Amino acid sequence: MAKTYDYLFKLLLIGDSGVGKTSILFRFSEDAFNISFISTIGIDFKIRTIDLDGKKVKLQIWDTAGQERFRTITTAYYRGSMGIMLVYDVTNEKSFENIKNWIRNIEENASADVEKMILGNKCDLDAKRQVSKERGEQLAVEYQIKFVETSAKDSLNVEFAFYTLARDIKAKMEKKQEASNPPGGRSGVQLKANEQNRKPTSWLARCSVL
Amino acid sequence: MSSSSVEDIPEQIKDLFTQDGVLLKACLGRPVTDLNAIGMLCIVQNTDGTKCIEWRPNDLITIDSDTQDHEWAVVNTIGRRQRTLSGNLTADYATAKARIIKIPLEDLKTFRVTRNNQQMQFSTKPGVWQTTFYFQHGNAEIFVAYLKNHVKSAKTRHDRNTYMVVEPNIESQVLNKSFAELDIFTENTTDVVWNLVSNFKQRPYETTLEAFSKLTDIVYYGNEATNGKRDVSEEVAELLTKSMSAMDEATTVTRNDEYEVISVKPTLPPRPCIPRGTPLSTEKWDALKDTQGRITEVDGVKQLIFRGGVAHSIRQSVWKYLLDYHPWTMTHAEIRAHQKRKTEEYFSMKLQWRSMTDGQESRFSEYRDRKSLVEKDVNRTDRTHPFFAGDNNPNLVVLQDILMTYVMYNFDLGYVQGMSDILAPILLLLNNEVDSFWCFVGFMDKIVSNFDMDQAGMKNQLLQLQQLLTFASPDLAQHLAQKDSGNMYFCFRWLLVWYKREFSHRDIFRLLQVRFLLSALQSNLLGKQLGFKDNTAEGIYHQIVSAPHLNDQIRVILGHQPLNISTSTQSDDDPVEPSTSQVNGEKSILGQDVDEVMYTRVCRKVTPNILT
Repeated sequence: MAKTYDYLFKLLLIGDSGVGKTSILFRFSEDAFNISFISTIGIDFKIRTIDLDGKKVKLQIWDTAGQERFRTITTAYYRGSMGIMLVYDVTNEKSFENIKNWIRNIEENASADVEKMILGNKCDLDAKRQVSKERGEQLAVEYQIKFVETSAKDSLNVEFAFYTLARDIKAKMEKKQEASNPPGGRSGVQLKANEQNRKPTSWLARCSVL
Repeated sequence: MSSSSVEDIPEQIKDLFTQDGVLLKACLGRPVTDLNAIGMLCIVQNTDGTKCIEWRPNDLITIDSDTQDHEWAVVNTIGRRQRTLSGNLTADYATAKARIIKIPLEDLKTFRVTRNNQQMQFSTKPGVWQTTFYFQHGNAEIFVAYLKNHVKSAKTRHDRNTYMVVEPNIESQVLNKSFAELDIFTENTTDVVWNLVSNFKQRPYETTLEAFSKLTDIVYYGNEATNGKRDVSEEVAELLTKSMSAMDEATTVTRNDEYEVISVKPTLPPRPCIPRGTPLSTEKWDALKDTQGRITEVDGVKQLIFRGGVAHSIRQSVWKYLLDYHPWTMTHAEIRAHQKRKTEEYFSMKLQWRSMTDGQESRFSEYRDRKSLVEKDVNRTDRTHPFFAGDNNPNLVVLQDILMTYVMYNFDLGYVQGMSDILAPILLLLNNEVDSFWCFVGFMDKIVSNFDMDQAGMKNQLLQLQQLLTFASPDLAQHLAQKDSGNMYFCFRWLLVWYKREFSHRDIFRLLQVRFLLSALQSNLLGKQLGFKDNTAEGIYHQIVSAPHLNDQIRVILGHQPLNISTSTQSDDDPVEPSTSQVNGEKSILGQDVDEVMYTRVCRKVTPNILT
């Protein structure tokens, strides 16, 4: 049976309760918005397959409950994630302050090379804004994480955010694949590294012949 | 993984089979320092012709690993093996013989394979697993296959992973073994017969020959006595007849690379049909009360409601009893007084948070956090239902007030997401702030362990659910495990708010009502074999309870007392959480059977891992 996609990426949405994780996901997967969403209990997911540079990339996106109480359940999903969206609400100072805690959570529970992105959601609500765009950018620079302000309601930057994260994961993955399976014409430095890696292997091969 | 058969060693001890990368996990009488050592598991033949299983730690057979890096040492161990076996073995034995473990095959009573075929345990004494090995590379399959060449073994009836060693000299024992237990084939007998039947259609000649040669083996191998022969043929005939007639029915046929596997795995006995009672009517409800309004036959009433439900018209009234707001034995007058007290108590608690000034609030972060969570969730609770729909809906204010007052009632628990889901149907039904609050309190008392800070209650339920599923439907449990969903986290929401999100309000009233009563009736249920929400659920319960392979682990989950007979499916490796042995309380789960039913009904909502 033909595969319907070339890559499967597992993504995760985290952030305080009510910052709009589910809305962002709903916007991305269904291109819709509903003011009266239900809260997420435990964990949920949506799937959307996108086209990235000619490759079909299936995004399996996990949506989590924001409340601290459910942390033990939601952190179980960190490990398998290749990309994590950290979401805060620009109209809620506390949710922005907590981004640091969420990052610590990632460091403790996710794999070290997970791709991250910070989203400042609800940027349509300018009148209620408590966190400026500059502060968001500053935080992102501090942690060297990509950042974008989004509005799930106005469909602003949501597509962009997911595509960017997916593209970064794809690039990282392809780089890894090449490193482990090097085609001809590599740069000298990389060749050297590979040779070093191969040494014990060749020893092994000789040994088992003996 | 590397495994080979070495047959030409001119030493006293001959290795018949060896397997590398086997960890010693447990061994009675051994110091802890010996555990977790990596070594080689062998089947060896002694000079006197007797055979034994032997485990040798790797450090006996590696020589120059110290000079190498870690990766090297491992490689070397494997590379060295052949040489060691053909030459230096005896010298090494002399120095460190003490660490070698030997299990003479003539003493071996039982062995079993667990943990995805990666763990093997041996026993020479009934009831004790003396040694446990972990197969680091690959699994124990090949080892078991070779072991079977040297001992006659049979899978036990109650656990497919456990093998009894059939002592060939005791004839009666062999005779008593059923055809299925002899385990001549790699698969169980039923599968072989099924294969025969299915293959017969496609290549009749070869299939027949193959089958008959196998049958000959069985007869020859099993026993030469005539009655043994007859038993076998009779049993095969019966199986064939069954399989032929069932061929076109609900059997799953999966095509493998080489052959077809038709799986027929009867795990539970047939489901009994249990009729649902009629709902409790207004007249009957009134008649249950004495002239003063007391209800004395409490258990009887509960059973009636449990079995048949209640007419919707009296649900309002009944729920106040079910949720412990109205005590069953109070008279009408007492209830009026009780309600008055409870109303005052409610409003005094409500006043506590209502009178909080902005300044107070700004210096009270724990309160603020709870309030903010409540506000967020109230605005997204059942907003599609007319009762809560639309802007500035007054019912949302009531919802918020009750939840905020509950925060003051139980500040430590505070507000946990999911509570608004639990309150919404109560408020919808009672449409009264005070009554709803106290019924909500009663509900929370039943379900509070779902909201533990460390989620221990939820984890325990998920574990029990997984255990029940493994028991009732091992195939599905295994499938889930393969798809990284063995933790059952996809059931989290279902369990947390008692399926409230998965059903319409009408259905959820009925479902909750049953669950309110489950724990209350549990002790009676055990004695009187009472039912669940509907016949299917109760049927499943009876299926599980009457399953021949029911073990203590499951018995405890179902709320029964364990028999304290150590069954082979329960081991020290598969611990039952202490809390599961509670017979009462929400966590001990007769209700899990309801969950099972709901599980099948809500099955469309699965994790994407299962879908892909």
